[in-house]
Amino acid sequence: MNLLFPLSPLLVTGFGALLLMLTEAFGTPRVRAAAGEEVVDAGAGRSGELALGAAVVLLAGAVLSVAVWLAGPAASPELKLLEPWLVFDGVALFMSFVLCLGGAFTALLAGGYLPEHQIDRGEFFPLLILATLGAQVLSASGDLLMLFVGLETMSLAVYAMIGLRRGSARAVEAALKYFLLGSFAAALMLFGGALLYGATGHTDLRGIGQAVASIGQPESTVNAGLVLLGLTLNLVGLAFKVSAVPFHMWTPDAYEGAPTPTTTFMAVAVKTAAFAILMRLLLTSFGDERAMSWGAGWPPVLALLAIVTMTVANLIAGRQESVKRMLAYSSIAHAGYVLIGLVATMRSPIEGQASVMVYLLTYTVSTAGAFGALILCGSRGAEAVSYDDLAGIGRRHPAAALVFTLFLLSLAGMPPTAGFFGKLYIFRAAIDSELYWLTVLGLLNSLVAAYYYLRVIVSMYFREPAPGAPVATPMRSGLVTGALVLAAFLVLAIGLAPATPLAMALGSLTGG
Amino acid sequence: MVGNLYFALCALVCLLGALGCVTSKKPIRGAIGLLATIIGMAGLFLKLNAQFLAAIQLIVYAGAVVVLFVFVIMVLGPDSRTDVDGGRAQISRAFAGGLFALIAGGALVLLAKGGPTPTRLLPAPPGHGDVEAVGGQLFTQAIVPFEITTALLIAAAIGAIAIARGRAVRAPKPHGLPAGEYYHGPVRPEDAAPASKKGTPK
Repeated sequence: MNLLFPLSPLLVTGFGALLLMLTEAFGTPRVRAAAGEEVVDAGAGRSGELALGAAVVLLAGAVLSVAVWLAGPAASPELKLLEPWLVFDGVALFMSFVLCLGGAFTALLAGGYLPEHQIDRGEFFPLLILATLGAQVLSASGDLLMLFVGLETMSLAVYAMIGLRRGSARAVEAALKYFLLGSFAAALMLFGGALLYGATGHTDLRGIGQAVASIGQPESTVNAGLVLLGLTLNLVGLAFKVSAVPFHMWTPDAYEGAPTPTTTFMAVAVKTAAFAILMRLLLTSFGDERAMSWGAGWPPVLALLAIVTMTVANLIAGRQESVKRMLAYSSIAHAGYVLIGLVATMRSPIEGQASVMVYLLTYTVSTAGAFGALILCGSRGAEAVSYDDLAGIGRRHPAAALVFTLFLLSLAGMPPTAGFFGKLYIFRAAIDSELYWLTVLGLLNSLVAAYYYLRVIVSMYFREPAPGAPVATPMRSGLVTGALVLAAFLVLAIGLAPATPLAMALGSLTGG
Repeated sequence: MVGNLYFALCALVCLLGALGCVTSKKPIRGAIGLLATIIGMAGLFLKLNAQFLAAIQLIVYAGAVVVLFVFVIMVLGPDSRTDVDGGRAQISRAFAGGLFALIAGGALVLLAKGGPTPTRLLPAPPGHGDVEAVGGQLFTQAIVPFEITTALLIAAAIGAIAIARGRAVRAPKPHGLPAGEYYHGPVRPEDAAPASKKGTPK
């Protein structure tokens, strides 16, 4: 039975995590204990090697996802054995690629960040890979039960990755806040899933879809009220995970208090996986004509969510003094743009889904790069987090400032970067679906967002640190540099050849 | 008839336990009320022919969760309590009580009107919900999520270790000295030196 190759993206991450865990547990620590102390963590001082190992595992996962994608899901009929639990179609493989890429960026950034800020903990890397595995499972799940298991695997690992810095009260607050609200959201989703099961008799998404489509027909026994309540609870739970306003309250604190590589992972992989499953849930289970209509379905709810999310996040982001917190609000605003793409699936399903997939890819490379550049600009005892810390970096360290500028321009959506094409496809899909006012609001929000991205560039190039103020010195780390070079390459490559990812996304959907 | 009596008994235990849980001012009594609710629920599961679920309910909730609650309460001291008469506590109590009254009132009104007709389910087939049936489902139909659950458990275990350990380097516990030595003044001469400089009474 030839199931190994089509399953390889999951197998590589799963076994990679176990291997790294054992390496971490049975290795020799590299730190020397001070007098009267003993080293209790065998992975201490070896973050560099472990980070490299984790990045290799995750990049292998990304490459294998593309390989299986190229071979085509149709080439491996054995994958049908996993249905309905896991649906490894083109979309799931595309998402698996994006998730592994985001995880690999996180691993490389952590390899530089953790030793620099003395949270040199080997457990980070197995947790990171397990979180990526959970995200892959989540984005590929075709059953509510599987969805919950994937969601919890990802979330539990991320809670621990936030709380690693035990000495910092902010990190503990961030971990607790995310843990409590995340558990609450998971409980809501579980309740919603139970109601959907009660109403339709199915936990697999396709079966729910068939039952939902039968509502309104005379022989249908499905209770529409229960379905509505179940869908609402599921939407709320997933809106927590993608941090859409008004379910975003935890985001700024959790993002700011967490170690920056963890923040990167939360902004990139967790959000991508949540959007992937949201798209699958809506289009598989609630994809019939009535549920997707403007009058009686979910599109107006998501449109409202998109507008509120973009507007509130952009207005608050402009008033932040901390760049890390600004990037947190910016990631909330980007969730709003993706929601526009989801709404656009109501009239043009293929283009809408493809635009969401491309947007998630461009958002992943730009955001991972922006957080990476922020990591690069700080060093031990002086983590660059505020606009003032970045003053004058452009003159003192031109290379660091240059890549930071590139990623910020991509987040702002300037051509010829990846971010421009991500936004372009989203807005084009929205116009194709005749959502003109939603497009106009999205464009206006992009203009507001450009203000705070440009503000970082202004402080880097046109301001000098106040006399006597502490000056941030960039850290030196080959791993962080490697991550930034890779991200910068991808941002420019997608920006110069945008047709390729779009063709891949369209191919995933049409099976071509 | 016996079945209805059993149902009424279990439901009564559940409701009384829940009432005790939210009304008692001592945390330990609240925990015991919760225990009663959980045991009543397990009884209701048995009535629904879900033996496995009933056993799990007892083992996990009554056995582990409530014991953990009692443990924490005992560590904090059974008399410790939060400010139950403060302004915020009053507001949240009023809110929760109001919400409960609203829902219960709504349910009563619906019942009085004849309400929605309950769905009649078919009686469960023999063997439904016992350990064999659940195990069979778990290891044949649901093998994929069952396997992925291992990733969930490993993530939880590593995460717990990572959070609990805190630092990579720590001072070892003092050992090797007889306990009595700690109480006989400074062990090393240099420990005694600063004290004498400050001018101890001669």
